[in-house]
Amino acid sequence: LSRCVAGTAEGGPSSSHVFVVRKDQDIYIQTLRKLFNESHGIFLGLQRSEEELAGKPRKAQLVQVSKNYRSVIRACMEDMHQAAISTREPALQSQYSTQVSILSAMELIWNLCEILFVEAAAAGPLLLRLLDWVRLHVCDVDNMVREVLSSEQPSKHKLFWNVVDIFVLQGRMDEARHLLSKEATANPTSGNMYKILDDLMKKMPVPSLGNTQTLTEMELKWQHWHEECQRYLQDGTFASDSHMESICKILLGDEDAILEKKELMTTWYHFLVTRLLYSHPTVKPMELRFYAQAGNRISSLDLFLGGESSPEPLDTILMAAFEFEIHQVIKECSIALSNWWFVAHLTDLLDHCKLLQSHNLYFGSNMREFLLLEYASGLFSHHSLWQLGVDYFDHCPEYGRVYLELHIERIPLNTEQKALKVLRICEQRQMHEQVRSICKIMAMKALRNNRLGSALSWSIRAKDAAFATLISDRFLKDYCERGSFSDLDLIDNLGPSMLLSDRLTFLGKYREFHRLYGEQRFTEAARLLLMLMTAHIAPCSFWMTLLTDALPLLEQKEVIFSAEQTYELMRCLEDLTVGKSEKQKFQDDNETTKVEMLRLALARNLARVIVKEGTLEGS
Amino acid sequence: QVSVINTVDTSHEDMIHDAQMDYYGTRLATCSSDRSVKIFDVRNGGQILIADLRGHEGPVWQVAWAHPMYGNILASCSYDRKVIVWKEENGTWEKTYEYTGHDSSVNSVCWAPHDYGLILACGSSDGAISLLSYTGDGQWEVKKISNAHTIGCNAVSWAPAVVPGSLVEQPSGQKPNYIKRFASGGCDNLVKIWKEEDGQWKEEQKLEAHSDWVRDVAWAPSIGLPTSTIASCSQDGRVFIWTCDDASGNSWSPKLLHKFNDVVWHVSWSITANILAVSGGDNKVTLWKESVDGLWACISDVNKGQGGVSAVTEGQQNEQ
Repeated sequence: LSRCVAGTAEGGPSSSHVFVVRKDQDIYIQTLRKLFNESHGIFLGLQRSEEELAGKPRKAQLVQVSKNYRSVIRACMEDMHQAAISTREPALQSQYSTQVSILSAMELIWNLCEILFVEAAAAGPLLLRLLDWVRLHVCDVDNMVREVLSSEQPSKHKLFWNVVDIFVLQGRMDEARHLLSKEATANPTSGNMYKILDDLMKKMPVPSLGNTQTLTEMELKWQHWHEECQRYLQDGTFASDSHMESICKILLGDEDAILEKKELMTTWYHFLVTRLLYSHPTVKPMELRFYAQAGNRISSLDLFLGGESSPEPLDTILMAAFEFEIHQVIKECSIALSNWWFVAHLTDLLDHCKLLQSHNLYFGSNMREFLLLEYASGLFSHHSLWQLGVDYFDHCPEYGRVYLELHIERIPLNTEQKALKVLRICEQRQMHEQVRSICKIMAMKALRNNRLGSALSWSIRAKDAAFATLISDRFLKDYCERGSFSDLDLIDNLGPSMLLSDRLTFLGKYREFHRLYGEQRFTEAARLLLMLMTAHIAPCSFWMTLLTDALPLLEQKEVIFSAEQTYELMRCLEDLTVGKSEKQKFQDDNETTKVEMLRLALARNLARVIVKEGTLEGS
Repeated sequence: QVSVINTVDTSHEDMIHDAQMDYYGTRLATCSSDRSVKIFDVRNGGQILIADLRGHEGPVWQVAWAHPMYGNILASCSYDRKVIVWKEENGTWEKTYEYTGHDSSVNSVCWAPHDYGLILACGSSDGAISLLSYTGDGQWEVKKISNAHTIGCNAVSWAPAVVPGSLVEQPSGQKPNYIKRFASGGCDNLVKIWKEEDGQWKEEQKLEAHSDWVRDVAWAPSIGLPTSTIASCSQDGRVFIWTCDDASGNSWSPKLLHKFNDVVWHVSWSITANILAVSGGDNKVTLWKESVDGLWACISDVNKGQGGVSAVTEGQQNEQ
């Protein structure tokens, strides 16, 4: 966002330091660049589609957008992970690893929000989604599984039962049964137990995604199945094998049995979902809070942690999500994360799902806009990401424009390309003030570096008459000193912009005079030259030069100036010299000589032209 | 979260009184009791000394960058009663104007919004405020407000350029009628608002709330709302936020941001006026933001340096 500079008043001479402090450091992390760029594209797509399909229900599309955001996070995580393992610097490595865990946490949270808010999964599918969510985010299982399966005798592996247990805990029945079958073949004596357990697991009713059964049907089936499991347990069917007995207890949703496998589940939210799977698979969204809520008699968090440790920020955020406290989720995320990327994009998406009530803040009409403004402002201190910020401001209806106006003027314009880029953005949005200001700055810069042509074209673009006059004067001064013009192309092609300032017009016309002279179109050149003085386009200070320019025309073999014109020229010369005081007149010898030469040339011309004009044709 | 990203070792031989970033955040100007003004290039976390300007004969209290459209121009004011305007020409920094019209230490300088032209306001311990306007060709016109504050004036800050009825699009090319205003803080414990009428500067408002010398005033940038906001800080340890809701600028109401335990030296707004930086003798720099319910909350703390923190500016920095 902004950089704050603090100066310190020191007593000692040793450290007169100034500290530079900055917020939003994250935008400078190279590997996150992809995150910002790609999410920008997704953001824009979402805004545009909203405009096109305004009002129509589009849940599926919003879910897709959410998935897109998540895949960007995952891609970034992958890059970051690669960077972490390939670097050799321990400091960098730890930084990358930290980033990976932060990104992973962000994806975890976003995924849950997608299930609960964007998709708003109803009872039934809700549990299935939550199961997917848990399976996706507890990765250690795969390693264990691989280890066990690749061993010679899987059922003898020390981790065998761990793997079976975790499959059961995650509701992965088929995989659990597959493994158990290996145990069955290895231990024919427990064949009967295995068959019963396998059967129970096969028959377990699960919510379906389609409309094949209603919730009530499902609940009924589940009740029967639950009772059947209960019977087997009470009959002592599994009494001789503690592992299988524990699995049966889990199937029955026995909390203690599930909690015993704490180490395998690793998190309280895994525990929450497992509980739900085996005690209340048809849980409704609004009932989740009772299972999650800290301090509640049946709180998953409390049961899991058992009072040993306190919840961490991630836990608080997930808790708020389970409780459907969207504003709380956003608030907690804002506090926990070091930049606004996550909350800005998530809130925008939730706003499109029409889930946020208007929450009037001083800065920004609502939460969405407030967060987007903060995020975009942060982008502006970056040398290239600022361009993304422009689009975000465009989609903030209340303050976006004024924020853009304030920020865009502060982008350093070190190259012409950058200046042109910024200008284009301003022009597209009719930010005339900013256009003018930027053009003026560029003109001033060019002038200081003696690039008169560039300065002139910038001041024309800025429609800055005063500056154009200044630069024209410089051009003319240069001409007087060096006898030639720089940037001829520019001056020759001024066109209507010549009229911006009188001096500029003069410059253009004067150059035209030179061109005409060069093309030997003397009569026209002469006419133009005279007009420049008589129409007062030329500044008085320049008349001497103009008259001197007339000399070669007067000395031509052919008579160019008419009598009338010659009289005019003489008048101009008198006007010029009469104005000077006595002491000025004879100070400059050069000057006096010139005046004398002019007088002579004019007189001679007059003589010739009178004769010429007085002569009849043919005689 | 705010973190220190760079420490600039200025090699000033004495206390630093002010540090200001330029418009783009690429350069830093510092001034000190050692009578010098230094300019550093601070791009990409670097610190290259560009210029060491000597010209003052006493501690230099404040520096201020003019808008880049006028070129690279820096103003400085000092205990030696002088205000110096420095300009960069052909890569070197030179004194372009020196103003000696004050009878006592000049404490504060502030450039007006670029829309008004190149105008510098200077507040002095002789109680007067001078307004220096560049009229072209190296010439400056001076207007003086005598006895602006009894005992002395410590700070000046311009209001953003807002055209009355600015919501209506102005036809391009026409110069809009700006009403120029600025705020000043003085040793009479008052914050005053000045308005230009018919070429004359008149006192428009007197804001009373402080019980000791006002050390700094900062007029917040405009974000298009009809409200105006001014922050003021004082020797009494208090920082007030003044807001005026109506466009005519008649009723200002103060809100206490916080009472600190020590003198508060400086206040400064971020570009979009949503964050206020405060620095004081209690050796801290704090950043403040207004919350939903209108109360101001401290969003971070930067605690650095031995001795008081005497100057704070918010600017935008750009990585190159």
